[in-house]
Amino acid sequence: MPLLRERVLGWLHRRPEAQAWSLLGPGIGFLVVFFLIPLLIMFAYSVMPRGEYGGVERGFTLEAYQRFFVPIYLTILIRTFVVAIICTVICLALGYPVAYAVARSGRWKNLLLFLVVLPFWTSFLVRTFAMIFLMRDTGLINTWLLKLGFIREPLTILYTPFSVMAGLVYGFLPFMILPIYASLEKLDNSLLEAAEVLGARPAARFRQVTLPLSLPGVVAGCLLVFIPALGSFLTSDLLGGAKQLMIGNLVQNQFASARNWPFGSAASFILMALVLAAVLVYLRIRDDAPEGAR
Amino acid sequence: MRRGLPRWLVALVAAVYVFLHLPILVLVVFSFNASKFSVEWTGFSLEWYRRLLERDDILHGLRASLIVGVAATLISTLLGTFIALGLARHKFRGRRVLEALLYVPIVTPEIVTGISLLILYVLLGFPLGIATITIAHIAFCISFVVVVVLARIEGMDESLEEASLILGADEITTFWKVTVPQLWPGILSGALLAFTMSFDDFVITSFVAGPGSSTLPLVVYSMVRRNIEPSINAISTLILVMTTLLIYVADRFGRERAR
Amino acid sequence: MTARLGRREFLRRATALLSLPAATALLAACRPGGHDPLLDDPTAALGPLERELAIYIWSDYVAPDTIPNFAKEFGIKVTMDFYDSNEEMLAKLQAGARGYDIVVPSSYIAEVLIATDLAVPIHKQYLTNWSNLAPIFLDRVFDPGNRFTMPWMWGVTGFAYRRDRIPNPPPSWEIFLDRRYRGKMTQMDDGRDVLGSWLRYGGHSLNTTDRAQLEAAKVDAIEAKKNLKAYISAPVKGQLISGDVWVAQLWNGDAEQARMEQPELGYVVPKEGCTIWLDSLVIPSGARHPRAAHEFMNYVLRPPVEAAISVATGYGTPNREAIKLIEHPVPYPTGEELTRLEYQRDLGRDTATWDQLWTEIKAS
Repeated sequence: MPLLRERVLGWLHRRPEAQAWSLLGPGIGFLVVFFLIPLLIMFAYSVMPRGEYGGVERGFTLEAYQRFFVPIYLTILIRTFVVAIICTVICLALGYPVAYAVARSGRWKNLLLFLVVLPFWTSFLVRTFAMIFLMRDTGLINTWLLKLGFIREPLTILYTPFSVMAGLVYGFLPFMILPIYASLEKLDNSLLEAAEVLGARPAARFRQVTLPLSLPGVVAGCLLVFIPALGSFLTSDLLGGAKQLMIGNLVQNQFASARNWPFGSAASFILMALVLAAVLVYLRIRDDAPEGAR
Repeated sequence: MRRGLPRWLVALVAAVYVFLHLPILVLVVFSFNASKFSVEWTGFSLEWYRRLLERDDILHGLRASLIVGVAATLISTLLGTFIALGLARHKFRGRRVLEALLYVPIVTPEIVTGISLLILYVLLGFPLGIATITIAHIAFCISFVVVVVLARIEGMDESLEEASLILGADEITTFWKVTVPQLWPGILSGALLAFTMSFDDFVITSFVAGPGSSTLPLVVYSMVRRNIEPSINAISTLILVMTTLLIYVADRFGRERAR
Repeated sequence: MTARLGRREFLRRATALLSLPAATALLAACRPGGHDPLLDDPTAALGPLERELAIYIWSDYVAPDTIPNFAKEFGIKVTMDFYDSNEEMLAKLQAGARGYDIVVPSSYIAEVLIATDLAVPIHKQYLTNWSNLAPIFLDRVFDPGNRFTMPWMWGVTGFAYRRDRIPNPPPSWEIFLDRRYRGKMTQMDDGRDVLGSWLRYGGHSLNTTDRAQLEAAKVDAIEAKKNLKAYISAPVKGQLISGDVWVAQLWNGDAEQARMEQPELGYVVPKEGCTIWLDSLVIPSGARHPRAAHEFMNYVLRPPVEAAISVATGYGTPNREAIKLIEHPVPYPTGEELTRLEYQRDLGRDTATWDQLWTEIKAS
């Protein structure tokens, strides 16, 4: 074993870029084979004519992309973005306090962290049906509100934008909480104590010490909520009564009932391109910011 | 050491936990419901727990889900952590583009990932099964791990590692004894996210699963057409109980060792 | 930031990177069928009975003891895998997945499987119990002569209603336009079923591709949408039972299931007509255990077996011998009713048109 260790270290020292390659190589290699290549196949599909019964036929056409740029689909895209943004904001408002509290809970840290993800080790469908049970007209919430006399008629909670947002926020909270926790957890109490000794009030302490430290986690959380939220569709179907379409539904339909694979593929790539552009812009801003600002 | 957290914060956090666990409570209660429709409480019954023993499909599904989940989590966490370190610690041409490209698996609609991987498997002649599912899960989990661990690294102090190297430790020792412990909350968070996504994945799995390798979500989603029998509630409850016990034991064990 | 890649270098690498998947995509698009001549000839003899069988089916679509009994009697190891939608099963097979010996498509999906060479002809000489099937379910438009499909379960898609809330509903789709029940009604979350219902309401076929007829149906569907609580398919049963929903477009088998929990449920087959659906057993191409598949098909044709399945699932059985063994069977449609019922057929290229309209309905 020591001999192997020597060998590896020797190799690492001889070629300085070997460190980068050994770290990045396996993961990136895996992704190139099992993600990039399939994706490029799909991209090829998006510029081929639609097969009569599904799939594609030989040929080249930009019809699928052209088809997308009409008001109805663009509206769906915009609405999806709006929903995803609102979901991200709410997740941030609720998730940050939780991450902060968990990071500061000393010996209960691990338990509280697990309690955040534990609900998600049950089936999504059963969870969602449980939410329906809570929110429907004859559901638990209405029953109790009626019993306690707060309302006289059942409230329409289910199949509203509210129920959809509640479901989305529910599903994405861990994606916000976990990254923020990860960057907050090292929160150096001595820094905070120093700030306190120097006379800073809690709000200032938070703004100038805690918040900047947690910023990487906040950004990561926002990206990990916003981006997948763009592709979500089941929640809006189950809790929104399938009365509206998100871009995720549209793509799903194209491969399923519409059997229009090129169009489904094209819609996906348009979405991906938009997100990729936004991420590149964000990364440029982040990298160009002076080091000390963080 | 600061004294406790402000009361409004504790109240808000408690409310969020209640919000997260209220549907779970409903789920658990209905596992003891006599009716096969989880609509109203009609009486107490252990029927669904008993039924679990007969439902091979559910038990096999759970087994497949666990195998895939654990394997995919371990591998994607490993690969993802390495990628994050590589990105954060080394400057090279195209680094920003690479980092941006890592977000693509997160935004790609699941059905696109699923079908495209299936096409690849067919072309390569891979037989569909547990392995193909695991590979698919790793593919979409890696990016999540990378993002979470990167966030952790960004706030980390490199001086500790520099000190370790100056003091004579080699790269491998430094990695295990200095880097990993510092990264640990990021690695753990990434792993938890990866397992959570893998365990409940449906769309991608439905396309890359082969005969005999249906995972638990595949069984459950298929039941929607008729009725999701409370046996699913029962197995979910059992999973929750088992996991909570496991965490408790692991936590205790960890604390014993720390002493 | 270090120097950027030269343009030529970038183009060279990009072309190299993209050429591989482009080639693979072309390969994928013109993949040969990979057919076994022995299987393709329905009169050819099959090999000996295999020891395994892979079934790809909806969950809970057999009785609990069907598979165990079959496995024991024939000494065959059966694996069951589950899908949740016809269309996804089709997409998976179209993308090239192989290894299943039996799939259970609905009528129009079976049509596509047959048209795209994804189905294996049935070797009828192994199905000695074939004559148990009722003729009204045989020789249907989507598979004349039943060369590829064996009828499995059937049903209709009308609507269920709460008798205690609506004692005398009109036997017509127009109920969904009735503002009195606003917010208490649902239609299925399926473009074919929704547009189909309004096409029938307008007196047209639910397989039409006539643009004018479709537009008219779309207008009605959007009008009805204002009265709908939601688009839900089978899971609406729970809310029918609890009373949140008073009228729901639903399969008759599911309505029957719900009625066992909530007696105040009735069912209507609208006078304008509705869908009659038939799920069939089909052997997909690439099946590795065809003989075992046929043995299974023959096994379920036995009256007691099929009767048990019908009772357990609540759906109608096309097996006229099995019906005699069931206490309260779902009665076959009468000749008169049959004139109002239509099977859904594949729409070919017009599938995209229907989807466009469904998108417009959803976006309204």
